[in-house]
Amino acid sequence: MPIENPFQDPLRFERQVPECIVVIFGANGDLTKRKLLPALYRLAYDRRLSTGFAVVGISRTPMSDEQFRQKMQEAVQQFSEDTQFDEDVWKAFAGGLSYVAGDIADPQLYRRLAAKLKEIEDSRRTGGNVMFYLSTQPSQYAPIAQGLGGAGLGKGGGWRRLVVEKPFGHDLESARELSDRLHESFDESSVYRIDHYLGKETVQNILAFRFGNGIFEPLWNRRYVNHVQITGAESIGVEDRATYYQEAGALDDMIQNHLLQVMATIAMEPSASFRANSVRDERSKLLRSIRAMTPEEILRNAVPGQYGPASIGGKALPGFRQEKGVDPQSQTNTYAAVTFFVENWRWAGVPFYVRTGKRLPKRVTEIAIQFNPAPLTIFDEDDGDRSPNLLIVRIQPDEGISLKFLSKRPGAGMNLRPVSMDFNYGSSFGERSPSAYETLLLDAIIGDATLYTRQDMVEASWSVIEPIQNVWRATHFDFPNYAAGTWGPAAADEMLARRGHAWRRP
Amino acid sequence: MGTLAPETILHQLADLWVSQGKEGHAESGAGVLRACSMTLVVVSEAGDDASALGETLAALMPEHPARTILIRVSGAGPAALEERVYAQCWMPFGQRRQICCEQVEITATDAALLEVPSVVLPLAVADLPLILWCRSARVFAMPEFDAMASMAHKVIIDSAAVPGDARAALARLRQAAGRMLGDLAWTRLTRWREMLSHVFENREIVSDARNVSRVTVEYPGAAPNSSSLYMGAWVMGCLTAAGAEPQLTLAGGEWTGSEPAPLVMRVVLEGEGIFVELMRWTDRMVTTVNNLAQCTHLPLVTEYAQVREELGIVRRDPVFEKALASAVGVAYPSQ
Repeated sequence: MPIENPFQDPLRFERQVPECIVVIFGANGDLTKRKLLPALYRLAYDRRLSTGFAVVGISRTPMSDEQFRQKMQEAVQQFSEDTQFDEDVWKAFAGGLSYVAGDIADPQLYRRLAAKLKEIEDSRRTGGNVMFYLSTQPSQYAPIAQGLGGAGLGKGGGWRRLVVEKPFGHDLESARELSDRLHESFDESSVYRIDHYLGKETVQNILAFRFGNGIFEPLWNRRYVNHVQITGAESIGVEDRATYYQEAGALDDMIQNHLLQVMATIAMEPSASFRANSVRDERSKLLRSIRAMTPEEILRNAVPGQYGPASIGGKALPGFRQEKGVDPQSQTNTYAAVTFFVENWRWAGVPFYVRTGKRLPKRVTEIAIQFNPAPLTIFDEDDGDRSPNLLIVRIQPDEGISLKFLSKRPGAGMNLRPVSMDFNYGSSFGERSPSAYETLLLDAIIGDATLYTRQDMVEASWSVIEPIQNVWRATHFDFPNYAAGTWGPAAADEMLARRGHAWRRP
Repeated sequence: MGTLAPETILHQLADLWVSQGKEGHAESGAGVLRACSMTLVVVSEAGDDASALGETLAALMPEHPARTILIRVSGAGPAALEERVYAQCWMPFGQRRQICCEQVEITATDAALLEVPSVVLPLAVADLPLILWCRSARVFAMPEFDAMASMAHKVIIDSAAVPGDARAALARLRQAAGRMLGDLAWTRLTRWREMLSHVFENREIVSDARNVSRVTVEYPGAAPNSSSLYMGAWVMGCLTAAGAEPQLTLAGGEWTGSEPAPLVMRVVLEGEGIFVELMRWTDRMVTTVNNLAQCTHLPLVTEYAQVREELGIVRRDPVFEKALASAVGVAYPSQ
């Protein structure tokens, strides 16, 4: 029976973080420098990490511990967006950083790692708790997990966790295969599939908003909701991800994971508790309730797009096919819009329009829930605006929630106009919101998997996406079909127009 | 005696919203948004720095929007009450619409303090908690304070600001036991306590907790302040719960830093196989556990941050209540 910490004060303290070692594979890579180390440093700065906390970096590049610390210091100084660099805090934090060089295919690497972990465990009393973070190419996930398992590192005196980044496979079969290989060394409960969208404050706030308030849930169903729009728009092009993006496309890169997870959070049933598995069970159930479409339905309910060249603000922007490293005949979708239907009693018949794209007019991710109009119109048509009631959840930027409703314009006569009630995260809570990586890293160290994707969720989303992939791969599209800087192809507008709806302009 | 009619103030508040709405509409076309989650009654001395207090209240409003009733106590003189009504507004970043909260300022002489509850109660926003934050140590010591405290769901004071013996301040606060209380002298310790708790999250260290035989709490100056009494009482309570029987030493020391002295400078827990030290150094906290040291950022907690934390807890706080009872025991060992 573990001894309880007698110093706890849950009313005032933040969640307590256990001692542990974080092992980062791909420690010399971009993600480590841009996101992971700055997030860990910020957690140290904010007093969130334990005294014995340690990081072991692993990559092929030969480096001493000191050189690794120097590199990481430069990364933290360059990429910590809103954290002041503090020499003393860094010095204490860097004391826990060390490095092991090696090839992930070489069993020697894992033996050296085991020795390093033992040494740290003894000197920093980390209790055998180790989190392995795979910040590498997805093709290396399985070999690393197997290497760790082979060296007996999948189990130890404390807990062992394996964190992997998307993509989790490129279709249903490869997702299952990847999972099976990870499970050879790590139980499903020890595998943390990171989806940084779920770490965003507003996505978490959806749960608080829906299940912490009694007034919205009665409206959250087919009787009152007309349709839902989920937009994940990016204004940038593929930048330096052309090789990956050409294989993946917008559908796999955004909808299969991020946006379907957001949709599951918006549409799931209330969970019995806020325990990780309870919440994830409901998300998973929702994903399994999404209808997998037939090829005929896909042609009507899914629209791919690819941006062409355009001039924005006097600046000439290349089309996708003109981007460096992209096949000039590429059939990759840089835009995808899909109408999903959830087959359960709550949502039967309510369309969920999900769209994402590169080179759209602005970077914005938001969910708009449009409610049905009042059952009887007692005001005259010319009594003013007839905008529908909308609940808008903005995920980025300017995280917040707005409710749009009609109100009487002051003065004589009955003239209606839409007004909006806004809750803005940045301004409503004076403090800085933690970055998604800070939230998710902390959750994984604490062992809270609520915001992580479980294997059955991955499989459920691939089951929905794979039929669309198959139809799109078998079809030759007349790309490009939208100009950079516009809201996507006309066919996507027509998809909504057929049901009497129109995309919002976020 | 100058008198106040709550109905008049309520009319003024209504007028205020009409004029704010017109102004907001004229400036941005978007009107203003009214926000309120509580009634916050602030008692302060008329001589206090009004602009500093105004800034604190303005900073609190985005997270704890409130109808604020500021009672400025002007001291001796015939019983007199005066009022003024205004709004505290802010424009959220990237938005077009201002968010505003109401503020009512009442100036009262000592002799009129007894009249204050009868003015404040009708002004309290229905169905929302009423929090009394008494910044005046002098008023806290007056019998009129009890009448004001009785109308509040929660009372916030700062025992460290009470001049003289800290033990007497805690004893006075203890008289209010049974009511929801917040003491900023306790709130200042949250980050310290959290760091200490963090150390004992480690399974090996928590099992060594029962070996702690000595606890030292170091404070600046010659006499212990209420924060150091709280800290000593809380640590002793936690260790006793873990099966330890330590001795507590409250030790005065000299603060050599250039910034204002913190109320607690150092806490040490030691015994067989365990040494834990928390030490404030400039704006950092250095935590040493056996031979490992960690340095983290810990700026002095501002008044805004302290009150913000207390406003976030509008329910009973069992850890604080226990610490208050024990701190009085630490101060008066025979009781």
